[in-house]
Amino acid sequence: MVYLGIIALVTLLANSATRLRLIAVTFVGIALVAAFIASPTATVPQAALTASAGFAAAGILFIAAGDGRYGEDPGWRLWLGTFTAAIVTPIAYASFRTISGEPATLPMFQDGSGVIVEVAGTWLLSSGVAIMLTARSAVRTSLAALVMVTGVQLLALLAPEPRLAATLALAWLEVVVALAGAFLIVNERAVRDA
Amino acid sequence: MIVAAPAILLALAACLAFALRKRVTLVARLSLVALVVAFTLVSVTPTDTTARLVDLDLRVSDLGRLAGLLLLATIAMLVIDVLIDEPAYNFFPSALLAGAVVLTVLALTSPIVILAVLVLGLLMPVGTFTFQVHRNRSVDAAVRHFSFVVLGGSLGLGALALAASLPKDQPATTVVLLMVLLFVAFALMLAAIPFHTHAALLAGEAPASALALYFGVLVPVTFIAFAEILAGSGLLPAIVQVGKVQDLLLAIGLVSALGGALLAAGANDLRRLVVYAVISNLGSALVGIATLSGPGIIGGIAIALVTGACATQQLLAAGTLERRAAGERPNVTHAPLAAGAFIAGGIAMIGTPPLVSFPGHFFVDLIAYAVSGFAGTGLVASAILLLIAQLRAGVRLFAGSPEGWRIEPRPVAGVLGGIIFMALLAGGITPEAFLGPIAAFADEFLKALRPL
Repeated sequence: MVYLGIIALVTLLANSATRLRLIAVTFVGIALVAAFIASPTATVPQAALTASAGFAAAGILFIAAGDGRYGEDPGWRLWLGTFTAAIVTPIAYASFRTISGEPATLPMFQDGSGVIVEVAGTWLLSSGVAIMLTARSAVRTSLAALVMVTGVQLLALLAPEPRLAATLALAWLEVVVALAGAFLIVNERAVRDA
Repeated sequence: MIVAAPAILLALAACLAFALRKRVTLVARLSLVALVVAFTLVSVTPTDTTARLVDLDLRVSDLGRLAGLLLLATIAMLVIDVLIDEPAYNFFPSALLAGAVVLTVLALTSPIVILAVLVLGLLMPVGTFTFQVHRNRSVDAAVRHFSFVVLGGSLGLGALALAASLPKDQPATTVVLLMVLLFVAFALMLAAIPFHTHAALLAGEAPASALALYFGVLVPVTFIAFAEILAGSGLLPAIVQVGKVQDLLLAIGLVSALGGALLAAGANDLRRLVVYAVISNLGSALVGIATLSGPGIIGGIAIALVTGACATQQLLAAGTLERRAAGERPNVTHAPLAAGAFIAGGIAMIGTPPLVSFPGHFFVDLIAYAVSGFAGTGLVASAILLLIAQLRAGVRLFAGSPEGWRIEPRPVAGVLGGIIFMALLAGGITPEAFLGPIAAFADEFLKALRPL
């Protein structure tokens, strides 16, 4: 429960940030909390790989900002994103978790059942979708993409698929998303500054 | 290791090409050599060869080999065109990475990893979509493409992860919800109507070679990945039990087939016409998959692969015509061979016999009629609309007297278009070589559909 509260808070912070460098710093928080949430379900190399990809992605965005002034003001879009995630997450949880027929409890800290991982993953995915749908420039589009990929990384931990390969592929995906986002941010800024 | 070798080679070559990207001629030659070596490696690897990398199983399937060879050949043609006709230093690393992604996706067996690698590949052309950013909206188009791909990819990956983590025998609503998410995810990545706005913007703003890389190589591999993911996800038996899911896929396919054909019929420039024709053909291919039948699956995948080749042919020709027209309306006098290649590509795009594009369309139209009269009629209507669209473009291109026709200098698009047309003709004369590997995949798909 505590981790869910923290991830909601850092997502809100990242979503409300108006400067790209601040967005990058808050995304480090998202990646860090996601790594903590993943730690009971994932092995140490998996958690380390995911966290490293998150830090690398944040670093790429930080450098792409160029200076501390560049960004995008979310305005009312901040609340749309937050409320959408707040509505979608319980619905998704009710649809996909409770059907197993087993009573689910939300532990205060770590849990081995995967409930926290699933709820946090769904929260990040729905937050990312809402941010992306309301984004006006490459800045918030990139943030949304990274938030969504982080959510997917958490959800993928629940699948009995090849775990290390999936973690590796998703970590690369996160870095490539950040690189593509940074490329678009730099080009978009060049167009605006012209 | 031989299974992964061609993809690893292309990925390494892409890194080298990126480091040397400003030396265009050298990088283009390096790219061609890497593609030829990868092509040779794929062609000498026997089918059903397996390997294990990290904790992942790799396999060379009949379809994987066929599609890998076709798509590598397409990339090689694009590299030649860019080298000779439209030098762009950022194209070569993207093309090589696209090749690596294609081979990886076709060899992987895990649905989540397939989709993750595919999304990674679909993001590769972002660097090639943007050019002369102060004069056009190519950055907007690239941002929109980025959004659609990441949105679709994340939704699809989330749906697959949830589907894999749930216990068996789920209620129908859960299956429907997961499948809706997965279908919407692929509709976003395939630019199916109504999720096609990024493709429409790209068609107007991105360079023709980058469009050809996307619509000629990456979109067909996305379609094949969709079929592979469906077969490997374990969701197929549930789809059979819940009829609504099949109807949903059928509806997405039909809307895309008809909508794409309508938009193509009204398109005012050559590139938009090609992009909408691709969207329409992919809609038909989705209808084929939605029938969950052998002929439908064979036809659907055949349409996707051949459409990629036709799109490459037409987009390269359209690019050449537009460049030579220098702002005027493109006409046959600007580049007669390219205009001929465009018309030949249009003939193949609509599925005219005896080209290899015919069997796919024939199978899908026939099986669509068997499943639903409305679906069959819709596909025939879309084929007629596409025919009208291509005829309209042809009439505009060839309007005027043939006296001013002079074969263009460096007729790369025309020659490459001719090679593609001959290949499509050869495939049409001996269809077993093309349809056999697809039929082997359809067999696996049907086994996954009814595991008992």
